[in-house]
Amino acid sequence: MAIISTSHLSKRYANGTAALNGVSLALEAGQFTVILGPSGSGKSTLLRLFNGLETPTEGSVSINGTVLQRRNLRHVRREVGMVFQHFNLVGRLNVMTNVLIGRLAYRSWLGSMLHLFREEDFRIAHEALARVGLAEKAWVRADQLSGGQQQRVGIARALAQRPRVILADEPVASLDPVTSTEVLGLLKQICREDGIAVVANLHQPDYTHQYADRVIGLNSGRVIFDDAPGQLTDNRLQTIYHRDSQPQETRHAELALAHA
Amino acid sequence: MATERLVNLPALPPKPRNLIPLWASLLLGLCWLVVWHLDISFQTLLWGWQDILEYFSRYTSPDFRDAPKYLWLMLETMAMGLWGTVLAFIIAFLLAPYAARNLSPNPWVYNLTRELLNFMRAMPDILLALILVSSMGLGPLPGALALGIHTAGFLGKFFAESLERVEHGRYEALDAVGAGFSQKILYAGWPSILREMTGYTLYILDRNIRTGAVLGLVGAGGIGIALYDTLRMFNYNQAAALLIIMLGTIIVLDRLSGLIRSKLH
Repeated sequence: MAIISTSHLSKRYANGTAALNGVSLALEAGQFTVILGPSGSGKSTLLRLFNGLETPTEGSVSINGTVLQRRNLRHVRREVGMVFQHFNLVGRLNVMTNVLIGRLAYRSWLGSMLHLFREEDFRIAHEALARVGLAEKAWVRADQLSGGQQQRVGIARALAQRPRVILADEPVASLDPVTSTEVLGLLKQICREDGIAVVANLHQPDYTHQYADRVIGLNSGRVIFDDAPGQLTDNRLQTIYHRDSQPQETRHAELALAHA
Repeated sequence: MATERLVNLPALPPKPRNLIPLWASLLLGLCWLVVWHLDISFQTLLWGWQDILEYFSRYTSPDFRDAPKYLWLMLETMAMGLWGTVLAFIIAFLLAPYAARNLSPNPWVYNLTRELLNFMRAMPDILLALILVSSMGLGPLPGALALGIHTAGFLGKFFAESLERVEHGRYEALDAVGAGFSQKILYAGWPSILREMTGYTLYILDRNIRTGAVLGLVGAGGIGIALYDTLRMFNYNQAAALLIIMLGTIIVLDRLSGLIRSKLH
Protein backbone atom coordinates (compact mmCIF):
# COMPACT_ATOMS: atom_id res chain seq x y z
CA MET A 1 0.00 0.00 0.00
CA ALA A 2 1.16 3.48 -0.76
CA ILE A 3 2.41 5.36 2.26
CA ILE A 4 1.68 8.80 0.80
CA SER A 5 -1.12 9.21 -1.67
CA THR A 6 -2.69 12.31 -3.10
CA SER A 7 -5.71 12.70 -5.29
CA HIS A 8 -6.36 15.65 -7.58
CA LEU A 9 -4.33 17.88 -5.34
CA SER A 10 -4.51 21.58 -6.21
CA LYS A 11 -3.22 24.59 -4.40
CA ARG A 12 -4.01 28.18 -5.22
CA TYR A 13 -2.57 30.92 -3.01
CA ALA A 14 -4.58 33.89 -1.83
CA ASN A 15 -2.84 36.13 -4.37
CA GLY A 16 -4.20 33.96 -7.18
CA THR A 17 -1.02 32.03 -8.00
CA ALA A 18 -1.82 28.44 -8.87
CA ALA A 19 1.04 26.44 -7.34
CA LEU A 20 -0.29 22.95 -8.04
CA ASN A 21 -2.82 21.66 -10.46
CA GLY A 22 -4.50 18.29 -10.05
CA VAL A 23 -1.59 16.19 -8.78
CA SER A 24 -2.38 12.53 -8.10
CA LEU A 25 0.48 10.44 -6.78
CA ALA A 26 1.16 7.31 -4.76
CA LEU A 27 4.55 6.99 -3.06
CA GLU A 28 5.79 3.69 -1.70
CA ALA A 29 7.60 2.89 1.53
CA GLY A 30 11.29 2.08 1.13
CA GLN A 31 11.64 4.30 -1.92
CA PHE A 32 13.74 7.42 -2.35
CA THR A 33 11.69 9.79 -4.45
CA VAL A 34 13.18 12.98 -5.85
CA ILE A 35 11.04 15.85 -7.01
CA LEU A 36 12.65 17.97 -9.71
CA GLY A 37 11.46 21.20 -11.26
CA PRO A 38 12.36 24.83 -11.84
CA SER A 39 11.87 27.40 -9.07
CA GLY A 40 8.18 28.17 -8.71
CA SER A 41 7.07 24.85 -10.20
CA GLY A 42 5.36 23.85 -6.96
CA LYS A 43 7.98 21.41 -5.57
CA SER A 44 8.05 22.97 -2.16
CA THR A 45 4.27 23.38 -2.03
CA LEU A 46 3.80 19.69 -2.87
CA LEU A 47 6.15 18.60 -0.11
CA ARG A 48 4.52 20.93 2.41
CA LEU A 49 1.10 19.61 1.50
CA PHE A 50 2.27 16.12 2.47
CA ASN A 51 2.49 17.07 6.15
CA GLY A 52 -0.17 19.74 6.20
CA LEU A 53 2.09 22.78 6.43
CA GLU A 54 -0.06 23.92 3.50
CA THR A 55 -3.73 23.09 3.09
CA PRO A 56 -4.93 22.06 -0.36
CA THR A 57 -7.47 24.15 -2.24
CA GLU A 58 -8.82 20.96 -3.79
CA GLY A 59 -8.11 17.28 -3.41
CA SER A 60 -6.61 15.47 -0.45
CA VAL A 61 -3.48 13.89 0.98
CA SER A 62 -3.39 10.68 2.95
CA ILE A 63 -0.50 9.32 4.94
CA ASN A 64 -0.61 5.59 5.60
CA GLY A 65 -4.32 5.54 4.82
CA THR A 66 -5.26 8.50 7.05
CA VAL A 67 -6.63 11.52 5.21
CA LEU A 68 -5.02 14.70 6.52
CA GLN A 69 -7.50 16.89 8.33
CA ARG A 70 -7.26 19.75 10.73
CA ARG A 71 -8.09 17.61 13.73
CA ASN A 72 -5.70 14.73 13.03
CA LEU A 73 -2.84 16.92 11.85
CA ARG A 74 -0.65 16.61 14.93
CA HIS A 75 -1.23 12.90 15.15
CA VAL A 76 -0.22 12.34 11.52
CA ARG A 77 2.70 14.74 11.69
CA ARG A 78 4.42 12.97 14.52
CA GLU A 79 5.22 10.10 12.17
CA VAL A 80 6.28 12.37 9.31
CA GLY A 81 9.78 13.79 9.70
CA MET A 82 10.84 16.91 7.87
CA VAL A 83 14.31 18.12 6.95
CA PHE A 84 14.71 21.76 5.90
CA GLN A 85 17.05 23.73 3.66
CA HIS A 86 18.04 25.99 6.54
CA PHE A 87 17.99 23.16 9.12
CA ASN A 88 15.66 25.14 11.40
CA LEU A 89 17.34 24.08 14.62
CA VAL A 90 16.97 26.13 17.79
CA GLY A 91 20.52 27.43 17.99
CA ARG A 92 20.56 28.22 21.68
CA LEU A 93 19.46 24.74 22.71
CA ASN A 94 21.93 21.89 22.77
CA VAL A 95 21.98 19.17 20.15
CA MET A 96 20.28 16.61 22.41
CA THR A 97 17.33 18.92 23.12
CA ASN A 98 16.98 19.68 19.42
CA VAL A 99 16.73 15.95 18.73
CA LEU A 100 14.34 15.44 21.65
CA ILE A 101 12.03 17.97 20.00
CA GLY A 102 11.27 15.08 17.63
CA ARG A 103 9.67 13.30 20.60
CA LEU A 104 7.42 16.19 21.69
CA ALA A 105 4.27 14.97 19.97
CA TYR A 106 4.54 11.68 21.85
CA ARG A 107 4.74 13.37 25.24
CA SER A 108 2.15 14.80 27.56
CA TRP A 109 1.68 18.52 27.78
CA LEU A 110 2.81 18.77 31.40
CA GLY A 111 5.90 16.62 30.91
CA SER A 112 7.10 18.67 27.97
CA MET A 113 6.39 21.95 29.77
CA LEU A 114 8.70 20.84 32.58
CA HIS A 115 11.36 19.71 30.09
CA LEU A 116 10.96 16.18 31.38
CA PHE A 117 11.64 13.48 28.83
CA ARG A 118 11.50 9.78 29.54
CA GLU A 119 14.43 7.45 29.66
CA GLU A 120 13.05 5.96 26.47
CA ASP A 121 13.08 9.32 24.69
CA PHE A 122 16.72 9.87 25.62
CA ARG A 123 17.57 6.42 24.30
CA ILE A 124 15.77 7.07 21.00
CA ALA A 125 17.44 10.47 20.65
CA HIS A 126 20.82 8.96 21.52
CA GLU A 127 20.36 6.27 18.88
CA ALA A 128 19.33 8.86 16.29
CA LEU A 129 22.41 10.96 17.08
CA ALA A 130 24.68 7.92 16.89
CA ARG A 131 23.22 7.09 13.51
CA VAL A 132 24.08 10.48 12.06
CA GLY A 133 27.50 10.22 13.72
CA LEU A 134 27.11 13.11 16.15
CA ALA A 135 26.68 11.39 19.51
CA GLU A 136 29.79 13.12 20.88
CA LYS A 137 28.21 16.53 20.15
CA ALA A 138 25.11 15.81 22.24
CA TRP A 139 25.70 18.60 24.78
CA VAL A 140 27.07 21.21 22.40
CA ARG A 141 24.89 24.16 21.48
CA ALA A 142 23.39 23.62 18.03
CA ASP A 143 24.62 26.97 16.70
CA GLN A 144 28.21 25.89 17.34
CA LEU A 145 28.04 23.21 14.63
CA SER A 146 28.94 23.48 10.95
CA GLY A 147 26.22 23.51 8.29
CA GLY A 148 26.64 19.84 7.44
CA GLN A 149 26.54 18.86 11.10
CA GLN A 150 23.44 20.97 11.66
CA GLN A 151 21.71 19.23 8.80
CA ARG A 152 22.62 15.87 10.34
CA VAL A 153 21.08 17.03 13.61
CA GLY A 154 18.02 17.94 11.55
CA ILE A 155 17.94 14.38 10.24
CA ALA A 156 18.40 13.01 13.77
CA ARG A 157 15.44 15.11 14.91
CA ALA A 158 13.35 13.53 12.15
CA LEU A 159 14.64 10.05 13.10
CA ALA A 160 13.69 10.59 16.75
CA GLN A 161 10.09 10.79 15.56
CA ARG A 162 10.38 7.12 14.48
CA PRO A 163 8.92 8.31 11.18
CA ARG A 164 7.22 6.41 8.38
CA VAL A 165 8.08 9.21 5.99
CA ILE A 166 10.88 11.76 5.79
CA LEU A 167 10.24 14.86 3.71
CA ALA A 168 13.37 16.78 2.74
CA ASP A 169 12.80 20.28 1.35
CA GLU A 170 15.99 21.08 -0.59
CA PRO A 171 18.12 19.45 2.09
CA VAL A 172 21.45 20.18 0.42
CA ALA A 173 20.78 23.59 -1.15
CA SER A 174 22.85 25.36 1.55
CA LEU A 175 25.67 22.78 1.68
CA ASP A 176 28.92 22.21 -0.23
CA PRO A 177 29.20 19.22 -2.60
CA VAL A 178 31.05 16.89 -0.19
CA THR A 179 28.65 17.54 2.66
CA SER A 180 25.75 17.24 0.23
CA THR A 181 26.68 13.68 -0.75
CA GLU A 182 27.10 12.83 2.95
CA VAL A 183 23.63 14.11 3.77
CA LEU A 184 21.95 12.48 0.77
CA GLY A 185 23.82 9.22 1.41
CA LEU A 186 22.55 9.26 4.97
CA LEU A 187 18.97 9.82 3.84
CA LYS A 188 19.29 7.01 1.29
CA GLN A 189 20.70 4.66 3.94
CA ILE A 190 17.84 5.46 6.32
CA CYS A 191 15.37 4.87 3.50
CA ARG A 192 16.86 1.43 2.81
CA GLU A 193 17.47 0.24 6.37
CA ASP A 194 14.21 1.43 7.89
CA GLY A 195 12.09 0.82 4.81
CA ILE A 196 10.55 4.29 5.05
CA ALA A 197 9.61 6.64 2.25
CA VAL A 198 12.01 9.54 1.69
CA VAL A 199 10.83 12.37 -0.54
CA ALA A 200 13.35 15.07 -1.40
CA ASN A 201 13.20 18.26 -3.46
CA LEU A 202 16.45 18.68 -5.30
CA HIS A 203 17.90 21.12 -7.78
CA GLN A 204 20.70 18.88 -9.07
CA PRO A 205 19.96 16.23 -11.73
CA ASP A 206 23.35 14.64 -10.91
CA TYR A 207 22.35 13.79 -7.37
CA THR A 208 19.00 12.67 -8.68
CA HIS A 209 20.63 10.05 -10.90
CA GLN A 210 22.82 8.97 -8.02
CA TYR A 211 20.27 8.61 -5.22
CA ALA A 212 16.72 8.47 -6.55
CA ASP A 213 14.64 5.34 -6.99
CA ARG A 214 11.93 7.39 -8.61
CA VAL A 215 11.84 10.86 -10.11
CA ILE A 216 8.87 13.15 -10.32
CA GLY A 217 9.24 16.14 -12.62
CA LEU A 218 7.06 19.15 -11.94
CA ASN A 219 6.48 22.11 -14.19
CA SER A 220 3.91 24.84 -13.59
CA GLY A 221 2.22 22.76 -10.92
CA ARG A 222 1.74 19.63 -13.05
CA VAL A 223 3.50 16.28 -12.99
CA ILE A 224 5.17 15.98 -16.39
CA PHE A 225 7.61 13.19 -15.58
CA ASP A 226 7.23 10.21 -13.26
CA ASP A 227 9.67 7.40 -13.84
CA ALA A 228 12.94 5.76 -12.84
CA PRO A 229 16.00 8.05 -12.92
CA GLY A 230 17.38 5.95 -15.81
CA GLN A 231 14.65 7.37 -18.04
CA LEU A 232 15.65 10.94 -17.24
CA THR A 233 17.38 11.85 -20.49
CA ASP A 234 18.66 15.33 -21.30
CA ASN A 235 15.68 15.80 -23.49
CA ARG A 236 13.20 14.97 -20.74
CA LEU A 237 15.18 17.15 -18.36
CA GLN A 238 14.81 20.05 -20.73
CA THR A 239 11.04 19.60 -20.73
CA ILE A 240 11.00 19.64 -16.94
CA TYR A 241 13.00 22.85 -16.77
CA HIS A 242 11.18 24.43 -19.71
CA ARG A 243 9.73 27.87 -19.22
CA ASP A 244 7.28 29.47 -21.60
CA SER A 245 8.07 33.06 -20.90
CA GLN A 246 11.80 32.68 -21.03
CA PRO A 247 14.21 33.61 -23.80
CA GLN A 248 16.27 30.73 -25.22
CA GLU A 249 19.66 31.86 -23.76
CA THR A 250 18.57 31.90 -20.13
CA ARG A 251 16.95 28.52 -20.51
CA HIS A 252 20.25 27.16 -21.71
CA ALA A 253 22.02 28.87 -18.86
CA GLU A 254 19.64 27.35 -16.37
CA LEU A 255 20.08 23.92 -17.88
CA ALA A 256 23.83 24.31 -17.67
CA LEU A 257 23.48 25.30 -14.03
CA ALA A 258 21.23 22.37 -13.37
CA HIS A 259 23.93 20.11 -14.74
CA ALA A 260 26.65 21.75 -12.71
CA MET B 1 33.85 64.62 -25.77
CA ALA B 2 32.42 65.53 -22.44
CA THR B 3 29.51 67.49 -23.87
CA GLU B 4 28.72 64.71 -26.29
CA ARG B 5 28.47 62.27 -23.42
CA LEU B 6 26.13 64.63 -21.64
CA VAL B 7 23.86 64.85 -24.66
CA ASN B 8 23.60 61.09 -24.81
CA LEU B 9 22.58 60.75 -21.16
CA PRO B 10 19.15 59.20 -20.75
CA ALA B 11 16.67 61.42 -18.95
CA LEU B 12 16.30 60.81 -15.22
CA PRO B 13 12.85 60.05 -13.92
CA PRO B 14 11.20 63.09 -12.25
CA LYS B 15 12.83 63.95 -8.97
CA PRO B 16 10.75 62.90 -5.96
CA ARG B 17 9.54 65.76 -3.85
CA ASN B 18 11.47 66.34 -0.63
CA LEU B 19 8.98 66.85 2.19
CA ILE B 20 11.47 67.17 5.05
CA PRO B 21 11.65 71.02 5.05
CA LEU B 22 7.86 71.18 5.15
CA TRP B 23 7.57 68.82 8.12
CA ALA B 24 10.46 70.49 9.94
CA SER B 25 8.91 73.95 9.63
CA LEU B 26 5.51 72.63 10.71
CA LEU B 27 7.13 71.08 13.80
CA LEU B 28 8.95 74.31 14.63
CA GLY B 29 5.72 76.25 14.19
CA LEU B 30 3.96 73.87 16.55
CA CYS B 31 6.67 74.30 19.20
CA TRP B 32 6.37 78.07 18.95
CA LEU B 33 2.58 77.88 19.28
CA VAL B 34 2.94 75.79 22.42
CA VAL B 35 5.36 78.25 24.01
CA TRP B 36 3.11 81.13 23.08
CA HIS B 37 -0.08 79.48 24.25
CA LEU B 38 1.30 78.25 27.58
CA ASP B 39 2.93 81.60 28.18
CA ILE B 40 6.29 80.00 28.86
CA SER B 41 8.70 82.76 29.68
CA PHE B 42 12.37 82.15 29.09
CA GLN B 43 13.10 85.49 30.69
CA THR B 44 11.90 84.31 34.07
CA LEU B 45 14.12 81.29 33.74
CA LEU B 46 17.05 83.46 32.79
CA TRP B 47 16.58 86.05 35.55
CA GLY B 48 15.75 83.43 38.13
CA TRP B 49 19.05 81.57 37.99
CA GLN B 50 20.22 83.08 41.26
CA ASP B 51 17.11 81.86 43.04
CA ILE B 52 17.64 78.42 41.58
CA LEU B 53 21.23 78.35 42.78
CA GLU B 54 20.17 79.50 46.22
CA TYR B 55 17.60 76.71 46.42
CA PHE B 56 20.12 74.06 45.44
CA SER B 57 22.62 75.38 47.98
CA ARG B 58 20.26 74.23 50.74
CA TYR B 59 21.13 70.64 49.78
CA THR B 60 24.90 71.00 50.07
CA SER B 61 25.42 69.44 53.50
CA PRO B 62 23.76 66.02 53.45
CA ASP B 63 22.89 64.61 56.83
CA PHE B 64 23.63 60.89 57.07
CA ARG B 65 22.81 60.41 60.76
CA ASP B 66 19.76 58.31 59.89
CA ALA B 67 21.56 56.40 57.13
CA PRO B 68 20.67 52.87 58.41
CA LYS B 69 16.98 53.78 58.35
CA TYR B 70 17.32 55.23 54.85
CA LEU B 71 19.13 52.16 53.58
CA TRP B 72 16.42 49.97 55.01
CA LEU B 73 13.78 52.08 53.22
CA MET B 74 15.81 51.86 50.01
CA LEU B 75 15.80 48.09 50.42
CA GLU B 76 12.04 48.19 50.78
CA THR B 77 11.77 50.18 47.56
CA MET B 78 14.04 47.68 45.84
CA ALA B 79 11.91 44.81 47.09
CA MET B 80 8.84 46.60 45.75
CA GLY B 81 10.53 47.01 42.37
CA LEU B 82 11.64 43.38 42.35
CA TRP B 83 8.19 41.99 43.15
CA GLY B 84 6.61 44.32 40.63
CA THR B 85 9.02 42.98 38.02
CA VAL B 86 8.37 39.35 38.94
CA LEU B 87 4.64 39.96 38.61
CA ALA B 88 5.13 41.75 35.28
CA PHE B 89 7.32 38.91 34.01
CA ILE B 90 4.76 36.26 34.90
CA ILE B 91 1.90 38.16 33.24
CA ALA B 92 4.02 38.91 30.16
CA PHE B 93 5.26 35.31 29.92
CA LEU B 94 1.68 34.05 29.88
CA LEU B 95 0.22 36.69 27.55
CA ALA B 96 2.99 37.45 25.05
CA PRO B 97 2.58 34.31 22.88
CA TYR B 98 -1.05 35.28 22.26
CA ALA B 99 -0.03 38.82 21.38
CA ALA B 100 2.49 37.70 18.72
CA ARG B 101 0.83 37.91 15.33
CA ASN B 102 2.58 34.84 13.91
CA LEU B 103 1.77 32.59 16.89
CA SER B 104 -1.61 33.70 18.13
CA PRO B 105 -4.23 31.01 17.50
CA ASN B 106 -6.69 33.46 15.96
CA PRO B 107 -7.06 37.19 15.23
CA TRP B 108 -9.61 37.69 18.01
CA VAL B 109 -7.27 36.39 20.68
CA TYR B 110 -4.44 38.39 19.16
CA ASN B 111 -6.34 41.68 19.20
CA LEU B 112 -7.80 41.07 22.64
CA THR B 113 -4.41 40.31 24.21
CA ARG B 114 -2.83 43.22 22.39
CA GLU B 115 -5.49 45.61 23.72
CA LEU B 116 -5.17 44.20 27.22
CA LEU B 117 -1.43 44.89 27.15
CA ASN B 118 -2.08 48.37 25.74
CA PHE B 119 -4.52 49.04 28.55
CA MET B 120 -2.01 47.97 31.21
CA ARG B 121 0.62 50.20 29.62
CA ALA B 122 -1.75 53.12 29.38
CA MET B 123 -2.66 53.06 33.10
CA PRO B 124 0.00 55.26 34.77
CA ASP B 125 1.55 53.34 37.67
CA ILE B 126 1.24 56.29 40.00
CA LEU B 127 -2.50 56.35 39.36
CA LEU B 128 -2.74 52.60 39.89
CA ALA B 129 -0.77 52.95 43.13
CA LEU B 130 -3.11 55.71 44.29
CA ILE B 131 -6.16 53.52 43.64
CA LEU B 132 -4.59 50.42 45.20
CA VAL B 133 -3.30 52.31 48.25
CA SER B 134 -6.73 53.68 48.94
CA SER B 135 -8.31 50.25 48.59
CA MET B 136 -5.61 48.10 50.24
CA GLY B 137 -4.03 50.53 52.64
CA LEU B 138 -0.54 52.00 52.92
CA GLY B 139 2.57 49.91 52.30
CA PRO B 140 4.73 48.39 49.61
CA LEU B 141 2.23 45.72 48.44
CA PRO B 142 -0.05 48.08 46.47
CA GLY B 143 3.08 49.67 45.06
CA ALA B 144 4.42 46.34 43.82
CA LEU B 145 1.05 45.49 42.29
CA ALA B 146 0.83 48.86 40.55
CA LEU B 147 4.33 48.48 39.12
CA GLY B 148 3.61 44.90 38.08
CA ILE B 149 0.42 45.71 36.22
CA HIS B 150 1.83 48.75 34.47
CA THR B 151 5.11 47.17 33.35
CA ALA B 152 3.49 43.85 32.38
CA GLY B 153 2.05 45.88 29.51
CA PHE B 154 5.55 46.85 28.42
CA LEU B 155 7.18 43.46 28.92
CA GLY B 156 4.31 41.68 27.20
CA LYS B 157 4.65 43.91 24.16
CA PHE B 158 8.44 43.54 24.06
CA PHE B 159 8.28 39.75 24.39
CA ALA B 160 5.56 39.48 21.75
CA GLU B 161 7.57 41.55 19.30
CA SER B 162 10.68 39.46 19.92
CA LEU B 163 8.68 36.29 19.38
CA GLU B 164 7.45 37.71 16.10
CA ARG B 165 11.01 38.29 14.91
CA VAL B 166 12.13 34.66 15.42
CA GLU B 167 12.83 32.92 12.12
CA HIS B 168 9.64 31.42 10.76
CA GLY B 169 11.43 28.14 9.97
CA ARG B 170 12.01 27.35 13.63
CA TYR B 171 8.32 27.46 14.43
CA GLU B 172 7.63 25.51 11.27
CA ALA B 173 10.04 22.75 12.32
CA LEU B 174 8.10 22.41 15.57
CA ASP B 175 4.81 22.32 13.66
CA ALA B 176 6.27 19.63 11.43
CA VAL B 177 7.06 17.27 14.33
CA GLY B 178 3.48 17.64 15.53
CA ALA B 179 4.24 19.85 18.54
CA GLY B 180 1.41 21.84 20.09
CA PHE B 181 1.08 25.57 20.75
CA SER B 182 2.77 25.70 24.16
CA GLN B 183 5.47 23.23 23.09
CA LYS B 184 6.22 25.49 20.15
CA ILE B 185 6.57 28.53 22.41
CA LEU B 186 8.65 26.71 25.01
CA TYR B 187 11.05 24.92 22.66
CA ALA B 188 11.38 27.36 19.75
CA GLY B 189 10.08 30.71 21.02
CA TRP B 190 11.57 31.40 24.44
CA PRO B 191 15.02 29.85 23.82
CA SER B 192 15.41 31.96 20.69
CA ILE B 193 14.71 35.25 22.47
CA LEU B 194 16.33 34.48 25.83
CA ARG B 195 18.92 37.21 25.47
CA GLU B 196 16.45 39.93 24.57
CA MET B 197 14.09 38.77 27.32
CA THR B 198 16.80 39.09 29.94
CA GLY B 199 17.73 42.54 28.68
CA TYR B 200 14.16 43.81 28.74
CA THR B 201 13.46 42.31 32.16
CA LEU B 202 16.58 43.88 33.68
CA TYR B 203 15.62 47.20 32.18
CA ILE B 204 12.13 46.92 33.67
CA LEU B 205 13.62 45.99 37.06
CA ASP B 206 15.83 49.06 36.92
CA ARG B 207 12.90 51.22 35.92
CA ASN B 208 10.63 49.75 38.60
CA ILE B 209 13.11 50.49 41.36
CA ARG B 210 13.45 54.08 40.16
CA THR B 211 9.71 54.52 39.86
CA GLY B 212 9.19 52.66 43.14
CA ALA B 213 10.96 55.53 44.88
CA VAL B 214 8.44 57.97 43.46
CA LEU B 215 5.46 55.77 44.37
CA GLY B 216 6.31 56.37 48.03
CA LEU B 217 4.88 59.84 47.51
CA VAL B 218 1.36 58.41 47.23
CA GLY B 219 1.84 56.19 50.28
CA ALA B 220 3.13 53.02 48.67
CA GLY B 221 6.02 52.53 51.07
CA GLY B 222 9.75 52.64 50.62
CA ILE B 223 12.16 55.53 50.44
CA GLY B 224 9.67 57.79 48.66
CA ILE B 225 7.67 58.41 51.81
CA ALA B 226 10.79 59.46 53.71
CA LEU B 227 11.75 61.85 50.91
CA TYR B 228 8.27 63.33 50.87
CA ASP B 229 8.27 63.81 54.65
CA THR B 230 11.68 65.44 54.80
CA LEU B 231 10.85 67.80 51.95
CA ARG B 232 7.54 68.74 53.55
CA MET B 233 9.37 69.63 56.74
CA PHE B 234 12.09 71.53 54.85
CA ASN B 235 14.81 69.14 56.10
CA TYR B 236 16.98 69.72 53.05
CA ASN B 237 20.04 68.03 54.52
CA GLN B 238 18.20 64.78 55.13
CA ALA B 239 16.58 65.00 51.70
CA ALA B 240 20.05 65.38 50.20
CA ALA B 241 21.22 62.22 51.98
CA LEU B 242 18.17 60.33 50.71
CA LEU B 243 18.78 61.54 47.16
CA ILE B 244 22.41 60.49 47.31
CA ILE B 245 21.45 57.02 48.53
CA MET B 246 18.89 56.69 45.72
CA LEU B 247 21.35 57.87 43.13
CA GLY B 248 24.07 55.51 44.36
CA THR B 249 21.71 52.53 44.32
CA ILE B 250 20.59 53.31 40.78
CA ILE B 251 24.18 53.62 39.55
CA VAL B 252 25.12 50.29 41.15
CA LEU B 253 22.05 48.58 39.70
CA ASP B 254 22.70 49.99 36.26
CA ARG B 255 26.27 48.68 36.29
CA LEU B 256 25.11 45.32 37.58
CA SER B 257 22.47 44.83 34.90
CA GLY B 258 24.97 45.91 32.24
CA LEU B 259 27.37 43.27 33.53
CA ILE B 260 24.74 40.52 33.46
CA ARG B 261 23.65 41.45 29.95
CA SER B 262 27.22 41.38 28.63
CA LYS B 263 27.71 37.91 30.10
CA LEU B 264 24.79 36.55 28.07
CA HIS B 265 25.34 35.60 24.49
